[in-house]
Amino acid sequence: MMGLLEAMRQVQEWHRCVTLEDEAFLAGLFKTTAAHVHEVATFYPAFTAKPVGRHRVGLCRGLSCQLKGAPRMAAYAEKKLGVRDGQTSADGRLSFETMECLGACDCAPALTVDDELQGAATEALLDKLAAELK
Amino acid sequence: MIITRHFDEPKLHELETYRKLGGYEGLSKALAMKPAEITEEVRKSNLRGLGGAGFPAAAKWGTVPPADKVPGPRYVVGNCDESEPGCFRDRVHVERAPHQVLEGLLIAAYAIGAKDAFIFIRGEYGRPHRALQTAVKEARAARLIGDDILGRGFSCDVMLMRGGGTYISGLDTALLESMEGKKSWPRQPPPFPTNYGLMGFPTLVHNVATLAMLPHIAARGGEWFAKIGTPKSGGTMIYSVSGHVEKPGVYEFPMGTPLRAIIEAAGGVAGGRGLKAVIPGGTSTPPLSADDLDLPMDFDSVRGKGSFLGAGGIIVLDETADMVEVVRLIIEFLSHESCGQCTPCREGSVWTERILERMLEGAGRPGDPANLERVAGNVTGRTICALGDTVGIVLKAYLKKFPEEFAALAGRNESVMRQEATANG
Repeated sequence: MMGLLEAMRQVQEWHRCVTLEDEAFLAGLFKTTAAHVHEVATFYPAFTAKPVGRHRVGLCRGLSCQLKGAPRMAAYAEKKLGVRDGQTSADGRLSFETMECLGACDCAPALTVDDELQGAATEALLDKLAAELK
Repeated sequence: MIITRHFDEPKLHELETYRKLGGYEGLSKALAMKPAEITEEVRKSNLRGLGGAGFPAAAKWGTVPPADKVPGPRYVVGNCDESEPGCFRDRVHVERAPHQVLEGLLIAAYAIGAKDAFIFIRGEYGRPHRALQTAVKEARAARLIGDDILGRGFSCDVMLMRGGGTYISGLDTALLESMEGKKSWPRQPPPFPTNYGLMGFPTLVHNVATLAMLPHIAARGGEWFAKIGTPKSGGTMIYSVSGHVEKPGVYEFPMGTPLRAIIEAAGGVAGGRGLKAVIPGGTSTPPLSADDLDLPMDFDSVRGKGSFLGAGGIIVLDETADMVEVVRLIIEFLSHESCGQCTPCREGSVWTERILERMLEGAGRPGDPANLERVAGNVTGRTICALGDTVGIVLKAYLKKFPEEFAALAGRNESVMRQEATANG
């Protein structure tokens, strides 16, 4: 079943989620059971059962980022983006989530959009993203 | 400096620049040697696994069974699933010098006779993944990857794979499960991956920083490399320094460099404040005290202080840090990332997280520190992988080092009541 995660990542990108139908399709493709595919899909946070936004905004909640004001930035992001932690906006434009260490403690508190590091979260950066992300 | 030497070169990620600066000369030299000769150089170099375990690299290679004993394919996997809080050097490294990682990967593949090599990179590393993709394409076009590399008769292909966002996938056996398209539950060794790895074939898994040392060892010799470090640990260590420092970033120092020099290179404690503690190797490693600054930073010395060098993720904590909150964050992370396979880890991490939360909310009970200690003891040593051990080891270390901070929260209600009772006569 090598390559299942890569295929699932592609499905997640296309559908913004991995549905039970997707899982059944992948099971056929990889000659395995739907149960196995479901197990994989629900184990990894990269895959979601419900559609995420067109853009996924992530804010790191690792220790170094907490020391540099991550909680304050998370509150600001929720207000500015209009989405609570772990939720997706009603128009499907964006999702916001605080994430485990993003491996960017040198620009704490680290902010990513669609797995792209944007740098340290500031009010100005979040204002910009709120306006620009379509 | 060995692997970060040219990091300031803006086009280091491009093949042309990398080659101009001596890149792929190590591979060229290695391919002119016999595999056993390379292993011998690595043995002389005292290179140890830089992903955290510090296991001697040559000894690991020695456990790969020879082809006449165990026929069939063997694989090399570069581990770039950097997820330990406080560690980010692999991200910076792969983005700036992807060819250095590929070159090391190919040398390791040649040394153990692998015809397929992989790099497993965490899913959140978008830009570093693209840098690797471009580098693989460039290298393939230049006949550095594929058939008959550099016209020396050695063939090896390289494939990139991305993780699904779990910390546990960074552990070698869990990583292999993930590559095989399964949930990344760690395997119970033995057998170790060098005997039973990817799809059951012998597989050498190394952190990408360890691999990146190989071109330099091949080019300049094992003895040169050994001289840079300590007698038991050759070469350099690459640190990610963050937290309360002026200049967080990636710093490379010879093995055995005092902790003080590394923190000073990062500009010292931010705002000129006092130092409380230093986490030496990512949040899974017990903290060092402010008076440990002269400690030589290498696997064995840090171990002597009851902690671990880990993957070199140094987090500096100044005098304002609340250590109960720090350990709560660490345990919260571990409980979130516990894969759920072993009950002591799955349950112990959540229970202790809840106790710490309650203490910080002002509802601490006098028995809490002892209870934390007891649960910690019931997790360590009772799980398949080190994540469970970490829950216990880290909790115990913080309890031992900062007892007054735990006591202040544990006894709060009762002691206030007692004081009032005494004051009222």
